Amino acid sequence: MNELHFASRIRQILNQGSVDAKVAQRLQAARELALSRQRPEPQPVLRWADNVLGDGWSWGGLSARVILPVVALAVAAVGIYRWQESQRLAEVVEIDSQLLTDDLPIDAYLDRGFQNWLKKRAADE
Amino acid sequence: MEGVERRAFKQAVFAVRDEQAALDIVQDAMLRLAEKYGDRPAAELPLLFHRIVQNAIRDWYRRQKVRSLWTTLLSSLSPGRGEDEDQDPLETLQAADASNAQDMPGAQLEQAQVLEIIEQELTKLPARQREAFIMRYWDELDVAQTAQVMGCSEGSVKTHCSRATHALAAALKARGITL
Repeated sequence: MNELHFASRIRQILNQGSVDAKVAQRLQAARELALSRQRPEPQPVLRWADNVLGDGWSWGGLSARVILPVVALAVAAVGIYRWQESQRLAEVVEIDSQLLTDDLPIDAYLDRGFQNWLKKRAADE
Repeated sequence: MEGVERRAFKQAVFAVRDEQAALDIVQDAMLRLAEKYGDRPAAELPLLFHRIVQNAIRDWYRRQKVRSLWTTLLSSLSPGRGEDEDQDPLETLQAADASNAQDMPGAQLEQAQVLEIIEQELTKLPARQREAFIMRYWDELDVAQTAQVMGCSEGSVKTHCSRATHALAAALKARGITL
């Protein structure tokens, strides 16, 4: 007899069997107990990372749980640097625009440091 | 999950021949699955569960080995113990089922008897052959998955399955059952 055919007959017969009520009850209780102790699902970001990286993605014990916070920290550091740069640029732009539209008070043109440097240079010469 | 746990229970019964021990094995396996792998994708769970059950059955055998060693040592010290060791658990199973026999109609009774004989013959198969046969043909895992759970090559799974099928077919034929 063909192995697959024989096996499928065996499967049909085994599937017709049932366990007695006591056993079924205990299995159900065990299942409920197991569900009550089920490990919580990971955070969405970590779960997403797990899906993307897969389970086999570990560099000598470095899992997504370690790599992801490090990457997040690096991204945050770069973000802060860029933000500070743009703030500084905005200040320069503001001064330049005020300079061009003559909104600056007259004192702004008085660079006392430059005057002192000129005097000192003249004295040296 | 209900079907999976019933099959796991039956598989454990075939392996350890003790309903209570089998229930303990399945319960432990479910707890271990939930506590350690509860966060895994649902598609991975059946395979993990099979693996845990197989390991739990092996652990049970290991514990039994140690226990039987102690029992042998102790029984050699105190005579009169260990008289029940020759008792075949299948005899009690048969007796329990026979008590229900009178309530069943003919075809159903025949089916129940065939099922019982198949279960008995599965119990008699070598452990690895039985594991491979049940996972492959009752749990309907493919060859690669079965090999993964059993920790052996796909070729070994095929060999185990083939031997189990031939042994089972021969045993059933010898008992007058043709499928």
